Amino acid sequence: MRRRVFLSIFGILSCLMVMAEARFPKPDFTSGYEYPNISHGVPMEQFWNVLDIVLLVGMMSLVVWAAYKKRSRAVIYSTSLVSVGYFGFFRSGCVCSVGSLQNVTLALTDSDYHLPWYVLLIFLLPIVFALLFGRVFCSGVCPLGALQELVNVRNFRLSRAVSSALTTIPWIYLAFTILYAATRSQFLVCRLDPFIGIFRLGGDLGMIVFGVILLIMSVFIGRPFCQFLCPYGAVLSVFSSLSWKKMEITQKSCINCALCDKSCPVDAIHQPQSSKTKESRSTGVRRIVLMSILLPLFTIACGILLRQNSDALSRAHKDVYLYELVMAQQNNPDMDECLEVETFNAMGGNIDELKAKVEKVREDYAFYATLAGCLMGFVIGFKLLKWSLKRSRKTYEIDSARCTMCGKCFNYCPQNLTKK
Amino acid sequence: MKKLYRNIALVTAIFMLALGAMLAVSYYQMRQVSPLESGVMQTLKEMNDSNADNESLQKQIRELDLISRKAYFVQEGQLKTGTYLLLGMACVLIVCLNLYFKESKNLPEKELDPIDEWMSKTKARKYLTIASIAALALTILFILLQHFNVKGSSGADDGTDSLAVANEDMLPADESDADAVVVASSDSIANDSVQAGAEDAANDSLPIPKITSKAFRGNNSSATSSARGIATSWNLKSKKNILWQSSIPKHGYNSPIISGRNVFITGADNSARELYCYDVYTGELKWTLKANNIPGSPSTMPKVNADTGLAASTAATNGEQVCAIFATGDIICADMEGNRLWAKNIGLPDNHYGYASSLLMYGNNVIIQYQNNGSSKIIALNAKTGNQSWSKSTSDKIAWSSPIIATLGGKSALVVMGNPAIAAYNPSNGSELWRVECMSGEVGSSPTSAGGIVYGASEYAKCIAINGATGETLWEASDYLPECSSLAATKNLVFCATSYGMVCAYDAQTGEVKKEHDLSTPFYSSPVVADGKVFLFSNSGKAYIFSSSTFDLITSFDTGEKTFATPAFTDGMMIVRTDKSIYCVKKN
Amino acid sequence: MNMDKDKLKSPMDRRNFLRTCGSLLAGGVALATGGILATKMKGEEGDVFWQIDPFACTQCGRCETDCVLPVSAVKCFHANKVCGYCDLCGGYYRPSVKDLNTAAENQMCPTGAIQRKFVEEPYFEYTIDENLCNGCGKCVKGCTSFGNGSLFLQVQQDLCQQCNECQIARVCPSDAIKRVSYKDAYKLKDHA
Repeated sequence: MRRRVFLSIFGILSCLMVMAEARFPKPDFTSGYEYPNISHGVPMEQFWNVLDIVLLVGMMSLVVWAAYKKRSRAVIYSTSLVSVGYFGFFRSGCVCSVGSLQNVTLALTDSDYHLPWYVLLIFLLPIVFALLFGRVFCSGVCPLGALQELVNVRNFRLSRAVSSALTTIPWIYLAFTILYAATRSQFLVCRLDPFIGIFRLGGDLGMIVFGVILLIMSVFIGRPFCQFLCPYGAVLSVFSSLSWKKMEITQKSCINCALCDKSCPVDAIHQPQSSKTKESRSTGVRRIVLMSILLPLFTIACGILLRQNSDALSRAHKDVYLYELVMAQQNNPDMDECLEVETFNAMGGNIDELKAKVEKVREDYAFYATLAGCLMGFVIGFKLLKWSLKRSRKTYEIDSARCTMCGKCFNYCPQNLTKK
Repeated sequence: MKKLYRNIALVTAIFMLALGAMLAVSYYQMRQVSPLESGVMQTLKEMNDSNADNESLQKQIRELDLISRKAYFVQEGQLKTGTYLLLGMACVLIVCLNLYFKESKNLPEKELDPIDEWMSKTKARKYLTIASIAALALTILFILLQHFNVKGSSGADDGTDSLAVANEDMLPADESDADAVVVASSDSIANDSVQAGAEDAANDSLPIPKITSKAFRGNNSSATSSARGIATSWNLKSKKNILWQSSIPKHGYNSPIISGRNVFITGADNSARELYCYDVYTGELKWTLKANNIPGSPSTMPKVNADTGLAASTAATNGEQVCAIFATGDIICADMEGNRLWAKNIGLPDNHYGYASSLLMYGNNVIIQYQNNGSSKIIALNAKTGNQSWSKSTSDKIAWSSPIIATLGGKSALVVMGNPAIAAYNPSNGSELWRVECMSGEVGSSPTSAGGIVYGASEYAKCIAINGATGETLWEASDYLPECSSLAATKNLVFCATSYGMVCAYDAQTGEVKKEHDLSTPFYSSPVVADGKVFLFSNSGKAYIFSSSTFDLITSFDTGEKTFATPAFTDGMMIVRTDKSIYCVKKN
Repeated sequence: MNMDKDKLKSPMDRRNFLRTCGSLLAGGVALATGGILATKMKGEEGDVFWQIDPFACTQCGRCETDCVLPVSAVKCFHANKVCGYCDLCGGYYRPSVKDLNTAAENQMCPTGAIQRKFVEEPYFEYTIDENLCNGCGKCVKGCTSFGNGSLFLQVQQDLCQQCNECQIARVCPSDAIKRVSYKDAYKLKDHA
């Protein structure tokens, strides 16, 4: 008996050894042949990351100087050229600040993910600048914005109401971006980046076509991506509206000449107006109260709604998708195995383990979908509330949340032409 | 000057549109129809494979290869230049447009239209509310649809399930009906062909047999066949009821399998291992496929017992591919025309008698019971590609048994008998359903199943009946136990043939011996239930035919050739492999 | 609250006060996020470079088609020290090849990127021309199923764009593509 046990152990061991060894033995060369020394292309060095950060800070400072001191659009325009050339075509877009939003989300929610230091800086520096001077980054440093800025020729603006309403989209996009990044499903922003294919001169054809359409639009409409899509722009707009210094059309006093009225490509210039509405004060107050009540209601409702849908949303996660494929295959064995299921089976995949994983993912989804829903609901409620408030203004003013600091209004203002 | 800019811009825009369209088409082509993998090239290469040393064909391939390579890289270069050109033109266009619009500023109209900001705010509020409500409605609709879908699909599932059950119920009846027709027609045709002197033209018009026998002991290795009208007496010398008899190039103990008009067996010696395809009506050897040039195949043959040989494993087919395995661990797969699809070595079996488990096909997978010294597992390979679909390690010791597919609790299950366990697995992924440890010694017999019960028996162990749905043992018996022969079962009886000359029928429900016969001749071949009878061959070549309902011996006679293999059945025909030939029994 | 109202008389002042609070709050949020993330980094090197685990790769062929580059940055690598230098190479020749020569009809590689060189009886050396390779993995499949598995797919770092999210990783059926740090920028088979 003992002998048999010994034999079987020996058998298992020898089997393992055969497994570890290659099918064909290493050749014994007699002709003095030596193994070739193959070297592989080295990865991008850290030098470039340092240069990225230096350029980022340098260019943002330059824009600040151009916008606040020099008051020159030419400088901002040339910064855009450099940005498109360097960050866009040369560094081919990755990692950009817009995308870094997802890395940061991932780093906050997943302790296994190591956030590289320069990605953190790429994420934080534009926010810091926004807090100090407004959306400096958007103006001529972000390659996506800069590309749209460069092709923008003339503005045929949308109605103010429509463009205001559309600024809700970036927030919804942001909510989904956070949801998908936090659950490790996919980087939505990277996948749907319309301009990366243009910078790389290749890639997903659908996205390139989308990018070209956006660019053609941005010839006539100021920065459609920045205004109506960019989730990072939405984040920056909050910080920018609370910024320490504000962008001004002129540093001298406004003479209400109205020349700058249509110069802004992103509808960030507000006209002077006194709130002469026909409705009674009580109606206005009632509306404000109503909206204040609606705000938390919206937040909760959207949260619940998205939570209800979290299982459907979770299909964007690879494991969930695989699990559903495997289950479909099991229910219908005659179905042709797709590559995913075939690989899963071939790798000896354990369906129970997969199921446990899927349940974990679904739990994550339930939580983060609620969060994303609340964010969406809050933003919608907040916008409604904001649009119910009346403001009176005596001069032309810049809405610092929306201003992307392109500097176009400088040349329109007669005050800027006169010497100090 | 302005006009010039405008014209330049216009021309560039038109050029860009044209160039962009061209590039898009070119890009699409490159992604979709890579010239290096064109259909023509593939066909030519395949033609070359089946048609060796055709120099003009080879030349054609080489020329085409060179041309397509050139085309590919030229196209790639064009795409690159085209993109740069497009970018350059875009720059020109933008510069021209800028220059054209240089002087026209976005100035307000003369009488400044006082935009009421409150109005736009009100409107924005309205738009957002409408959009939110629309989105909300859509989401709710989506949720409802999904609920509806889930309900609908579960309903559909139930529907298909019941349909499948209904089908299964109807299947035997269907088949027998079809059989009757086919038997009748083939009878008349056979008569004709006898009159016409078995002409080839008549052969081609013969119907393709409906009943198949796709693995060792029939479809799913079930030891039963729905074939009817099988002759109960024949004589190889006088050719009575013998349609044909053919010689086999290389020896082997494996059994014939039948799919359509093809009969497959394998043979091997130290020089080669081969898969043969015979015609079921004529016995003509249609093709031979050598299992050679397989990477990893051992250069010297493993030592095997003469009673086992290098080709003890029966091949298996699913009607599209046929797979065969040899004692070297080589497995080859061919299509019905004998074109090799893939071949691989799954590892030299460490087996002191020689590897003997037969293959089994389930859907697209070929299942291998690979239980040898040191390595015990069940492997499923994709029959189309040879890639592993799944593999399940088992804790069992070496065995020579073959797997079966049984219908247990309404679902297909893979049942594998080894030492010490009989176990059932999900044939789609290899997950274990149940496992009963009941065997010992050297297990060479294979399990069988009828009416949802799994039966297994082995010499020096016992005969056991297991509830296939739960894995619970129903009864055990040890009156008569088989060594090499496997059990066959109906819903009422379980048939067993031993290597010491005793044959018996156990009661399928209780395990009580219902009937026994002392035939005093060893049996290695397995009994098969067909046409209301049990067919059994002794090693010496004596055929015994019993009633499958009572196990009374109907007839027995000597065939004159030693028989170790189990016969295969199809429409009105039985294919028997002897130790030197293969013949077809058919009423004439 | 009453105190505040007394202090801030005009609506403009109130607005300014709120704005300052908001600014401080926003600044605090930015600082806190930065701080949390900075402490989380702990000097560890970030995961940046996309790499294929050659032992997990199943050669499904998606590396060729799903890379954002026109010609994939995934190339076939060859671990000479694992190679058996076989005459009948499962990576070089198509299955069911008859003559073991370099003729076009015998080669597996669609772009002819594998070069075969005689070393000594019976050994042949195989080298990959990365400029021609398109990362389809046909040879890798052949070598892995019939040979020692010395051919394997890997991301060529000087071609890889280091996308924030690798498009191939998204569709990889065996999850073989992961981010690694600079110090193990190449996962090679002959290192193991």
